[in-house]
Order: sequence, then structure tokens, then C-alpha cells
Amino acid sequence: MMLARRAQLERLFELAREGGRALIGPTVRDGAIVFAEIERVEQLPIGWRDVQSPGKYRLERRSDDAAFGHVVGPNSAKELFFAPSETLYRAERRPDGKLGFTAHKPPPTAKALIGVRACDLAAMRVQDRVFERSQFRDPQYGARRADTVVIGVHCTEPGSLCFCSSMGTGPRVTEGADLALAERGDELLVDALSPRGEALLAQLEATEASASDHAWLDAAMDASRARMGTAVDVRDLHERLYANLDHPRFAEVASRCLSCSSCTSVCPTCFCSNAVERSDLDGAASSRVREWDSCFTREHSTLHGHAVREQTSERYRQWITHKFGAWVAQFDSSGCTGCGRCIAWCPAQIDVREELAALTNNDRRTPLPSARSCDASQDETLVPRVAEVVSVARESGDVVTLRLRAEGFESFAPGQFSQLSLPAIGEAPISISGRDGAEVEHTIRAVGALTDALCKLEPGEQLGVRGPYGRGWPLDELAGGPVVVVAGGIGLAPLREALRRMIADPARFTDLRLFYGARTPDDLLYAREMLGWVDRPGFRLYATVDRASATWRGHVGVVTRLLKRETVGDRARAIICGPETMMRFTVDALARAGVPHDRVWVTMERHMKCATGLCGRCQLGPYFVCKDGPVFRFDEVASLFGRQGI
Amino acid sequence: MNAKPRLGVFKLASCDGCQLTLLGCEDALLALAERVEIAHFPEASSRTDAHGTFDVALVEGSVSAPFQLDELRSIRARSKRLVTIGACATAGGVQALRNGRDVREFIETVYASPEYISTLDASTPVSAHVAVDYELRGCPIDKQQLLEVITALLVGRRPEIRDESVCLECKRKGIVCVLVKRDEPCLGPVTHGGCDALCPTFDRGCYGCFGPKERAPTSALAARFARDGMVPVELVRRFRGITGGAEAFRTESDRHE
Repeated sequence: MMLARRAQLERLFELAREGGRALIGPTVRDGAIVFAEIERVEQLPIGWRDVQSPGKYRLERRSDDAAFGHVVGPNSAKELFFAPSETLYRAERRPDGKLGFTAHKPPPTAKALIGVRACDLAAMRVQDRVFERSQFRDPQYGARRADTVVIGVHCTEPGSLCFCSSMGTGPRVTEGADLALAERGDELLVDALSPRGEALLAQLEATEASASDHAWLDAAMDASRARMGTAVDVRDLHERLYANLDHPRFAEVASRCLSCSSCTSVCPTCFCSNAVERSDLDGAASSRVREWDSCFTREHSTLHGHAVREQTSERYRQWITHKFGAWVAQFDSSGCTGCGRCIAWCPAQIDVREELAALTNNDRRTPLPSARSCDASQDETLVPRVAEVVSVARESGDVVTLRLRAEGFESFAPGQFSQLSLPAIGEAPISISGRDGAEVEHTIRAVGALTDALCKLEPGEQLGVRGPYGRGWPLDELAGGPVVVVAGGIGLAPLREALRRMIADPARFTDLRLFYGARTPDDLLYAREMLGWVDRPGFRLYATVDRASATWRGHVGVVTRLLKRETVGDRARAIICGPETMMRFTVDALARAGVPHDRVWVTMERHMKCATGLCGRCQLGPYFVCKDGPVFRFDEVASLFGRQGI
Repeated sequence: MNAKPRLGVFKLASCDGCQLTLLGCEDALLALAERVEIAHFPEASSRTDAHGTFDVALVEGSVSAPFQLDELRSIRARSKRLVTIGACATAGGVQALRNGRDVREFIETVYASPEYISTLDASTPVSAHVAVDYELRGCPIDKQQLLEVITALLVGRRPEIRDESVCLECKRKGIVCVLVKRDEPCLGPVTHGGCDALCPTFDRGCYGCFGPKERAPTSALAARFARDGMVPVELVRRFRGITGGAEAFRTESDRHE
């Protein structure tokens, strides 16, 4: 550690801004200390402090001229790297009908940050983990984040809302910065934490710090910890929260919560986003725009027009159990860094520390799955590729199968899905119902503007496609024993390619039984193809309809009525796709027929936008349905399955 | 190519400000005129077609007088899509402040010759009388949202207008919360966004002109205002503004009366 005069900040500013870097640091603006671009040392909040309490923030004059004598303000480095609103790509329909998708790249702007607290450095690490070290890497975030110089500040004067010492992220800057500063009157104690930091420090006028300087900093950090506000008991917090999903406190806090999204917006780690189509008036071109979103909006969880989380209590539960619970299973750390922003900027004055204590006022614990390591991130621009319709098969009144010529499906596994899109209309997840070389099939029901338009496509026309995404059916685990396949309605689509492969491999799949239920005989998908399977030895088809026609001679009634010990066989493994209610009854019927939960796989559905685990919308407890699913072994999701508002 | 879709712009009880938003689209209005036939828009042109049929009808204003009810039903019958624009058409407007009061007394107090006034007891939103395909909020409406609704209807998709709080717009813009930093009684947390946080951008509290958002726990916000010292009479006024006729704001306002 080195000792310098505080006047060396002038030199540090020069060095940080070298080569045209934008310097971003704390400054007084609009009645708060915000994090914004500054050029001169005088723009630091010299002589200011912030006094914070739940839902209140005030600036006050200090009795000294400290430059870093404040805590964290309303914004953070998040907005610099994860833009509040940004264009992902432009989509256009050219005069000849061909489509084009052009990625929008953020302009490279090198940045230097100064005055970043340990809590916010931790937040940057948390977001780096989400956007750069998950299964998919976000290039927009990466472009903004790369090559950032970071000058941290040890936090000597925490506020009453701070709890970084509880979360283990502060007050001392120990990683994630090039330099760490401590302000002591007109002196600075400076530590280099990286080679770049060493190089910066070498250009300052500084002398080696003494043992008493080290002791002063240690004492200052101890004093800082002692001055923090209410502590949070973080031991097994994620497991204690997940054991209390039905806690009456959720309804109570919902009576005070405004569901306004302020907490998630000011949170330096919250990463949920929405993606919307901004089309030009002529309808020929559009921009795909990504914007900050929040689990407190209704739209965040909307699936087929209905919100999974309609009640404020369900949204509050999603937020707090994700931030302090599921996050651990997803990213191997808490999503909270103890910065206190969600308390200060809550218009309803809710203190998350009180809520955590109230929600975990018992000894219950529910284990969560451990975080999946991810060694090989792949870049995901979210920009569609152009695909062409080869042929169109009408399966029933409102269901069509599109056969597409599309690149990039070499690694496809049955059960995976694609994101299909049309310029100016939008994008939706559609399961892949078959693959044959460079041609892939998608079976689509017309239920909205996009699926209507997709169903009207003709051979030769183009569309956008991303994928394949997600985890498919565990064919290798199914091989060797009897396999039961249960499908409801269009739920047969994501099972079809799995069925084809099992039928084509009678050596490994000797006993295959398909139970298929549809509304009417006309709604049975792939009827001709299924008739071809019936002759295959070891294959049995049990089809049923809700409403029979005059010529129907098969079963009538729900598909679960066909699942009996004699039709299923207790050694079977089962894969299911259909509406959640149908799957729930199916799982129960299978259990009665002797097939336990750990030999059953289901496919889950939640609101998906990005399909890569980066938009946060399709969460199901500790999972992202898009990348951890959509296929789950039932015991993985059993505790969440069918539960209201999860 | 088919004929262009026909657009009609109508007004009931209103100040014309929302129609002015359409006029104020300037260049975009010219682009719009390329895509649609603006068949009836008295605010913009004396060449009108009040009795024709329309692919899209934009209706401004509330139903405040008996003749407006007949006119509205006629518009609905002749329009494939009916979009209401603005606080009057979607919540009854500022004129809904008379609802539940003695209208006759108002008329006699205000007008020199009250016998010429023909009015309904209440000012009501269009959706109280006919089916509405889409509601566009605001006093006045936002130009970008208007263009988005028209564009989406032309393309055949759902408009990308999100029912979320003004807070999210503030936060995306980097506006420092006026309620937190100085107890300014801002309705943003319970108000439908779409204005791009216009008032907070100018360091003022939101007064709710876009009406309540989908989940508008007004009592939790009123409780905050009360903790900051707001007296009941002021709470009544705060929620009884331009969109005071909207249910969430009306019940909150009534609760403090």
C-alpha cells in the first residue's frame, strides 16, 4: 500500500482519462450523488454526504471536504454495461420478399470508473457471471464491459441501509478493481490490485505506507463494519427462503408493496429484460429493442395471455426468492450485495432486511440444486438467421407444420425448440417437431399475430430462426427398458422426433407405448405417420379424444384414464408433453401404475424471450426453462409443479 | 394492391388535445397518410366522411351528453377496430369529477341559461358503452404510443404498449426519484407508463394522467403520502385528477373523503 496526497487525484483523473476514456464517478446532480461522466476532481461530491432511510434519500453538507464521504446513490455501473434500452438488431423485408437481419453493435467506448464501493464491485462480478460466464455470453454486455479501468474506494462511512458486511462483499475493496483508494483527510492510501493498477500507481507521487497506515485502514474497516445498519442472517438463507414459499408474510408485504419495479431497477445486479418489436410505419422493417424489465410487471410472467404471477405477493416472492435464493443455484452466489438501494429507493419504504427476517422466522430448510458449472460459454447475439420454407403441411384446422431449410441445427436433440420470427411482427418459441438433414420441422398452432402469420407462410417464403435451444428428451436414459410417451394435443410436436428415433432403433427401444389425447379426431396430429408406426413390433398406440366423431371407434375421455398398471408396466420410463394440468394428472396416474417421479420427464413452459437464460423471464424456481429445460426430470420440479404463482 | 385501410378520427366530450397529438406527428403523419386513407379527421381537414365505414376509428372524449351515446354506437357499428385515445375516452376525463354529484346544481351555478344544456349525470369512458379494441392512455396521449398502435394494427400484431409503472420509465432514463429525494407526492408508482416519465423528467411528481396501471395498490401509496404528512383532503385531490374517474383512483379518493 502507498500513501499519497489527495491532490494526486488530479493526476489520477488525467491517467484514467488517457486515450479518451470516459471517466465515470460520483457527482452531485438532481439532488443526489449519481454515478455519471465527470472530467474534473471538483465534480466529485466534495463536502457532501447522503442520509438514507427506507424510501428516503437526502443530501447534506459535511463538516469536512471529503470527496468520498457518501454511500451509494440511485444508479450504479449496471447501466453502463447492461443498457437500459438498446437495439439488438434491425430486421427488414426487402422488395424481393427476402429477409435480412443486421446485428446492432454498441459503439466501443473505453471507460474508467472511479469511486466504486466494494458492494458495487461485487455487483459487477455478479453481472459478469450472468452475462459473460453462463451457457450463453452476451456480446453487447461484453463490448461495453471490456477494457474498463476500475478504481475502487474502501467504504469508511457506511449508511444505515448498508449491509455489505452481512453479504460478505465489503466494506473493503479486495478484488474487481485495478486500484483501491482510502481517503484520510488530505491523504490517500492507495493499493494496486492488478498489473494495470500497478502501472497507474507507479505514475503517482506516493510513498510506501507505514505500519500505522495499515493499522489505520484496518481500524477504519472495523469501524465501518460496526456502523452498518441491521444485519442479515445469510446462513442457508436460500434454503430457508425456499422452505417458506407459503409464508403468510408474502400476503402481508404485498399489502404494502406498490409492485412499481423501483427495487429491481435500482438493484445493481437485476438483469431481467424484455425485447420488443419497434416497427416502421410501412411494416417492412423493424428494430428488436431490449429494455430493462422487472418481475414486478404483469407482462414479465404472461403466458398465452395469462400472468403466471398475477398477485403482488407472487411477484414479491419471485423477486426475493430469486435474489437471495434461486440465484445461488443459478450462479453460485447470492444476487444481493448489501448495497441497500432497494430499501432507499422503495417508495413504499419496505426494508428487505425486515422482510427476510420475517419470512425465515423458523428452522425450515429446503435444499436447492447446486449451481451448474459452465466452462464453455458461447456468444449469443440474439440475431436470427434467415430460413426458408420448403413445404407446408396442414395438420388440422389451426395447426400447420413448416418444413424449413435452415443452417445451424446439426446439434439438434429431440425436445429442443427454436425462436421463429418475422420482421415487424415479433418472435416466439416453437418446439422442433422433426429434423431431416438441413431441413427442420416446426409444428405451429395459430393463436396470435405471429403464429397466425407463420401459419400463413408459403413455400419459398422466408422467416427468422434462432436455435436450437434447451435440453431435450433423455433418449439414452430411456433406452433398454419399456418407454411410455404421453402427449396431449399439440404436445405431440416436441415428442415426434424422439418417437421417430426410438422407432428407428428397435434394438434399443423394444417396447414403446404412445398415449395420445386430443380434443377431437380431427385434432390428432401426424395421423398418417402414426398409422405407419403401428405395424412396428413392440409399438403400441393408445389414442383418445375428448369428443368423438361419428366414425371414431377409439377411446373417448382424458388420456390419463388409459394409464393403468397393465398398459404402462411398472418398469417403464415415461416422457410427457401437454398442458400443465394434464401433465400433473398424468404424473399421478403413472405413479399409481408403478412409475415413480424419478423415471418421468416433463416439458415445462414459461414466458421465454431470449431463450438463452439472459432475460430472466422464464424462471421456474432455481431453473431457467429455456436452458435448464424445457425437459425436466419430474422430481427436479416436483415441489414447484402446479404451484400457484411460481 | 388493395385499397388503403380507412382511418377515422372522432371526438366526443374532450378538449381535442389528443387529436392534436396526431396532427403533431408531422413527418410521421405524412408517412401514415401513405399507408392509410385518413378519411375523416375534422381537426385536420374540412373534407370529411363522418358517415362512412372505417378500418380503424380513433375516438377521443368521454360520453357526457345524450347525443354522444348515439354517435358512439354509430361509429362502433361502422368500424372494424375502435381505439379510444386519451384520459377522457378511457376514464371519463376531468369532466368525470361531476360523477356522483348533483349535476343540475352545477349547471344552474355555471350557466346563465341552463335550459340550453343537455347532459348526462355522469361522464363515462367509451368502454362503458361499446366494445373497445384498444385503449390508449394519457392526457394527452403520447405520440410514439399512438404511432405504435396504428403501426401494430396495420401489421396485425398486438401493440407493444406495456402496462407498467412510470417508475420503470424514470429508472431507464436515470431520473432521480422525486418521491424519495424530497417526499414529492408522485403518483408514478401506481400510474401506467407511456409518457416517458415526462413530469419527473422536469423534477415534478407524476399526477397520474395515464391512469392506474394494472396493479395499482393506491392505498399503499396513500399510506406513504400520509406518513409524509399529507392530510385527507389533499389525498382526495391527489387521486381525483384527470383520471379520477378510473376505478382505482376513484375508490382511493373516495376512501379519504
